[in-house]
Amino acid sequence: MARREVGEINAGSMADIAFLLLIFFLVTTTMEVDAGIARQLPLKLDTPPPENLEFNERNVLKILANSQDDLLVEDKFIEIGDLEEVVRDFYTANTSGRDTDPTMPLYNRVNLGDCVNQINGITTRLEENPDDMLLKSEMNKWTIKKELCESLPTQSYMEIHKSAVIQLKNQSGTSYGLYIQIHNTIQRVVNELRVLKCDEMGWGNYFDLKPDMNEEDAVVMDRLKILVPERIIESKIES
Amino acid sequence: MSKFKKGGKKGIPGVNTSALPDIIFMLLFFFMVATTMKEVEMQVDITKPVADQALPIENKDMVDFIYIGFPIDLQAGTQPRIQLDDRLANSYLDVGAWKRMKEREGLTAFDIVTSLKVDKGVGMRIVSDVKEELRNIDALKINYSANQTD
Repeated sequence: MARREVGEINAGSMADIAFLLLIFFLVTTTMEVDAGIARQLPLKLDTPPPENLEFNERNVLKILANSQDDLLVEDKFIEIGDLEEVVRDFYTANTSGRDTDPTMPLYNRVNLGDCVNQINGITTRLEENPDDMLLKSEMNKWTIKKELCESLPTQSYMEIHKSAVIQLKNQSGTSYGLYIQIHNTIQRVVNELRVLKCDEMGWGNYFDLKPDMNEEDAVVMDRLKILVPERIIESKIES
Repeated sequence: MSKFKKGGKKGIPGVNTSALPDIIFMLLFFFMVATTMKEVEMQVDITKPVADQALPIENKDMVDFIYIGFPIDLQAGTQPRIQLDDRLANSYLDVGAWKRMKEREGLTAFDIVTSLKVDKGVGMRIVSDVKEELRNIDALKINYSANQTD
């Protein structure tokens, strides 16, 4: 029997098909990489905190940005470029534990005993109100602190004053660009200090940490957040 | 005169295009790998601020985007507006309900990060209002979108 030759497939229009697909992808996709600064908003409390909370002037770094995009830091006008220095000073002025700069927050030593006492105290309060979100987060924080103490040879570490915060106030006309620059500056200082802490503790490279994927890295990250906390308070803009 | 006389007509042979599909496919695959799908059709104009500490968002499926900027369509006014998915929101009060609607299987509003893509010229007023709305429904994880470099 005669064999029938199989005809070759005409591939001439292959290029056209590929072009069509290519153009489709060019139109529907973007090159843009999404990047941003991550932040967590404060928890909405059922019971508002007491109005006249006692706080020490030195523990608060006041940053005000007005509608003309002027920057007022600790009651002095400064340029955005000088903010980094001020924020760094806020974190590092008294790291040694001595009262070197009386206008900046103090550092004090936290040891294993403190952690155990705190945890015991919170446990009894939690038994009374088991659903208190604030108590739960306190509990979580002190547990991390306790584990951190246990992991260190001295069983203690230096911690910035517990009410040390950066207070950021905006007006309705403050531009978002300036707002991001302020956040970026704070983040830069915090990252820088965390890198140093990481090196000091021998935890590897800070920027290589993947707390979402790796259990160990998540522990390190939790500890870094205790050692170099970023506490930023923003108030709602009132009309 | 010449000894070797070429017979028939003399002409330039056609260019061999058999490798053309391969080249185009190569381009296609490059673009498929290097780009991402557009999330929405933009209805507000956004020039993102620059922040050198911005970190790339790893898992885009776990993020909701809120766009705030000046409307491209001049009939929508000249004041900054909020864009949720493909339409402009009437006011910031819509944000809570929208975010609730975006909740997925096994995830609450708290678990899903909200990325704010805001034009750098927009005033903080509207941003503050949106953040307050998000706080009301416990969607506390936010991300201020910014370009890493110019």
